[in-house]
Amino acid sequence: MLELSAVCLRFGAKQVLHNISFSLQKGEFIGIIGPNGAGKSSLLRLIQGALSAQSGQILLKQRDISCFGTAELARTLAVVSQTTAPLFALTVEQVASMGLLPHKSWFELNSSYDRAQVKLALQKTGLSHKSSDVVDTLSGGELQRLYIARALVQQPALLLLDEPTNHLDIQYQHQILQLVKALGIPLLACLHDLNLAAMYCDKLLLLHQGRQVAFGSVAEVLQPELMAQVFGLPCEIALHPRLDKLQVTFMPACAERLC
Amino acid sequence: MLKRHYSLAMSVALLLLLLSMLLSLTLGSASLTLADIVSVLSGQPGVSPLADTIIWQIRLPRLVCAVLVGAGLAVCGAVLQNASRNPLADPYLFGLMAGAGLGATLVSVVLPPQLISLALGAFAGALFAVALVFTVCAGQRWHKVEMTLLAGVAVSFMLSAISSFILYFAEPFAANRVIFWLMGSLSRTDWHSVMLLAPVVVAVLLLALALRRQLDALLLSDESARTLGVNTTRLRLILLLATALLTACIVAQCGGIAFVGLMIPHIVRHFFGVTSARLLLGCAVVGALFMIWVDNLARTVLPQQEIPLGVITSLVGSVFFLLIMRRQRL
Repeated sequence: MLELSAVCLRFGAKQVLHNISFSLQKGEFIGIIGPNGAGKSSLLRLIQGALSAQSGQILLKQRDISCFGTAELARTLAVVSQTTAPLFALTVEQVASMGLLPHKSWFELNSSYDRAQVKLALQKTGLSHKSSDVVDTLSGGELQRLYIARALVQQPALLLLDEPTNHLDIQYQHQILQLVKALGIPLLACLHDLNLAAMYCDKLLLLHQGRQVAFGSVAEVLQPELMAQVFGLPCEIALHPRLDKLQVTFMPACAERLC
Repeated sequence: MLKRHYSLAMSVALLLLLLSMLLSLTLGSASLTLADIVSVLSGQPGVSPLADTIIWQIRLPRLVCAVLVGAGLAVCGAVLQNASRNPLADPYLFGLMAGAGLGATLVSVVLPPQLISLALGAFAGALFAVALVFTVCAGQRWHKVEMTLLAGVAVSFMLSAISSFILYFAEPFAANRVIFWLMGSLSRTDWHSVMLLAPVVVAVLLLALALRRQLDALLLSDESARTLGVNTTRLRLILLLATALLTACIVAQCGGIAFVGLMIPHIVRHFFGVTSARLLLGCAVVGALFMIWVDNLARTVLPQQEIPLGVITSLVGSVFFLLIMRRQRL
């Protein structure tokens, strides 16, 4: 589905990403983790075509992404990033309908099939009852679900999520990740919260200072020594007694290490 | 619910537009009844040749121009507000008006009389201002819309200062001519102006309608529009150039008519909806309707004299706008 090999990205003299190689198979949910400035967002922006790599190759559905036209790329992958509210009072349905854009030519009107797609997307994200509400009136969680609905209308083969749970209440953080996991679309997400990543992702990609430190199953990547080294705090990792999921706990550093 | 709301608003506006157009033809110093108008327009015999001339050669071209100018300015305003994601954007964004003013000043005051027409001078001046803003902003690839707006303001002040300097030393008659022209009027328009404006207005409206999904996508953020496959840099450049060209044509024909492009889109959003297709069509109809009545006021309120259009649009428009604002948040 998605394959990166030896991808490097530089901003001027600064090496932002160094030798990134991993692949995402159908039905997988890969989480990108790492401290601030590790290059998580840059990596996502590379894959969505907003930045271009100096070297290496990104294959999407076995084709180099530089061969994709902008509209074609938008039909193949959709992005949900941190949310902004629109300038004027758009309704929920209108924002979801924006996902039709890459499928439409200049004067083409929305068909009944298009309207059914929008309706279905709002249904899947639990927003059907709000379809004619103004976007301003939505809660943070609802707004994020709306952007997921818009991404679904694009009918993508791959969904990229940039910190989808930021600024959300705990209940919504779980709701959003449960929702996207249930969609059946391959997912690649930057996640800040390691415990959320451990709970919902199939595989993890750990970045540190632009380098790929580890890639593999959750258990392979979440190693206490590795985490302590990357995040700079003593770390304990344990299996949750009932959930069969790993839990990461960071501990206060000793006083001399702080100085 | 929203759909019905829109259809109702559109039907009412279209009906009002049609009635206003008929009614406007009866207004003027020569008194003609609605029956006269209908028989002249339908080409029935038995109407005085004078009435025929008044309607076909004077009132009708002016009326059609009012429709085109009002629709054109309102559509430009709507496009620019969406494209720059700034509710204060208007067609005179790039110092267009100041450029046109400078062009008109140079033509009427500095150059030998009758060498170049005022309209052509204004058109060239307006394009010069746009070119200046675009050159300044070309390096930053249109990412920072605020910079473009600021550059427009700076260019505007610069060109106005030059015009003021020239006008200060000009002979009063020539200076007056430019100053009155700047306030806007449809009194010089004829079928020639219609032929010039109509294709440009229609072309820009069609272009904006074709790009309506892209315009909608811009309302969220550039980043978000790009993930939908919109080339935001190119889109913005095309829209800015198209609206600048249309505004320059309008300014060249009728001088400065403030407020229409800024406020009509806000009024239309209130009654028609905020998505681009509805907004653009609504702006075309409501802008035309507004301009017809402004022009009717301009030529009938004072006997034997016309009031400049810009004065009325600013006064009527601002009062109406403030009333709506007071009633509810736009």
